[in-house]
Amino acid sequence: MISDTLAAVLTRLYLGAHEGLAAACTKALQVDGLALSLVVDGWEPEPLWHFGTASALLEELQFTLGEGPAPDCVRAGVAVTVPDFPATPSVRWPALSTAAAELHLPVRALFCFPLRLGAVRVGVLTMTTDTPGPLTATQTSDALALTAALTAWYLGGHEADLLGAPGTGPAELNRAETHQATGMVSVQLGVPLAEALLRLRARAYSQNRPLHEVAGEVTARRLRFFPDPDAPSAPDNREG
Amino acid sequence: MARPLRLMEIFVELADSLIDDFDVIDFLQRLSTRCVELLDISAAGILLVDQHGELQAVAASDEHTRLLELFALQHSEGPCVDCYHSGEARVNIDLTDLDTTEPWARFAVRARQAGFRTTHAVPLRLRDRVVGALNLFHTADVPLSDEDVALAQAMADIATIAILQQRTLDRSSLENSQLQNALNTRIVIEQAKGILAERWNAGVDSAFSSLRAYARAHQLRITDLAYAVIDGRLDTTLIPAPSAVDTSPAARRRRLPR
Repeated sequence: MISDTLAAVLTRLYLGAHEGLAAACTKALQVDGLALSLVVDGWEPEPLWHFGTASALLEELQFTLGEGPAPDCVRAGVAVTVPDFPATPSVRWPALSTAAAELHLPVRALFCFPLRLGAVRVGVLTMTTDTPGPLTATQTSDALALTAALTAWYLGGHEADLLGAPGTGPAELNRAETHQATGMVSVQLGVPLAEALLRLRARAYSQNRPLHEVAGEVTARRLRFFPDPDAPSAPDNREG
Repeated sequence: MARPLRLMEIFVELADSLIDDFDVIDFLQRLSTRCVELLDISAAGILLVDQHGELQAVAASDEHTRLLELFALQHSEGPCVDCYHSGEARVNIDLTDLDTTEPWARFAVRARQAGFRTTHAVPLRLRDRVVGALNLFHTADVPLSDEDVALAQAMADIATIAILQQRTLDRSSLENSQLQNALNTRIVIEQAKGILAERWNAGVDSAFSSLRAYARAHQLRITDLAYAVIDGRLDTTLIPAPSAVDTSPAARRRRLPR
């Protein structure tokens, strides 16, 4: 079960009211710092927003050095928890351990959660605390609910409407036919999965229909997407 | 073969897999097919609760769309949802009994259309929580005995253990996050199915069969193979495409149940 404070944060997120979101999320998750990094155009993640200076520094360090729990989390697509960071053997992330010690960062524990939808890597949310120890069950549930919501948000091209409209919210992103249709549309358009999903969601939104219904039309081959002839990229993958 | 001996073989097989570095989808699929065999039923599937509190299928004894649709219908209603909320097994549900099936009539109609007469839902338990359900279907009106139900519960418990034992970077990984990872792994398979179905102009069911046959023939994990298809690291022309597939609804009806 998620906490009431996080439920309030999610409502704000869906409404597109992102002012002070980092602070609100940090408070709801009951941690000292928070950082969100996003995968941009399939490349390495880049820090997007944060709460707390130490958290921001640690996030920058990890992606500059290319090592640490957050890059590991993005690569493997699973949560990486470090309940006692200074006690972690330095062989795991040698450059990061050295740099963090030199900077005397107060961070004692890190918890990284992937933003992903199947094979689509969206980014990573890192929670930091100044005291060691594991997350509580509520913190974990909250973190998973928040990452699911952020995943849906950033996969929606930041369109508040895509999340707010009925049948296009985060729960809709878990239907099998949606993912099958995403794969099919990515071949039809010769685009990555994330973009194919965005096109499906935009179609559902513009027709005011649930996403899975539009996806079902695609898998039943009653609906096809065609590359835009004016699009800058060459449509070379129509038949795969 | 007499059941006790076969039962032992299957438990040894499953336990052996659990100490290896196994693929969670492969494992749960195998477990589903073993349920069909041991309990002498027609189909089985495993559903897990997602972070929105809805049930999602992660594996099934066969991947026919008609069966997967029955699991999908239960994201918010059906015997599995009842089982998930109550934590109690719901067995020997007569799908033709209109009183029993009234709370989820849509599911019952679709299940009957798919040729099923009886269904059962057994909880996936994690200490004091329920994290999903094992869903069983039979085309005939054959009830499960108490012994069968105990066996189904044992299979459900093994499924939970497997989900919590998935390989991760980090041994202290969180239980909820392991559930999430199993669901995400399932999504990878669905995405790869779609890509292959479109490339081959085939149905998603047969695309999956071809992918799985290739994975088995080359001793690859189905999840790794699915990633390779999506990333473009695998030349998909190497996978024998399904032969001229009729994807019409009529053909799909003919193919299910077996």
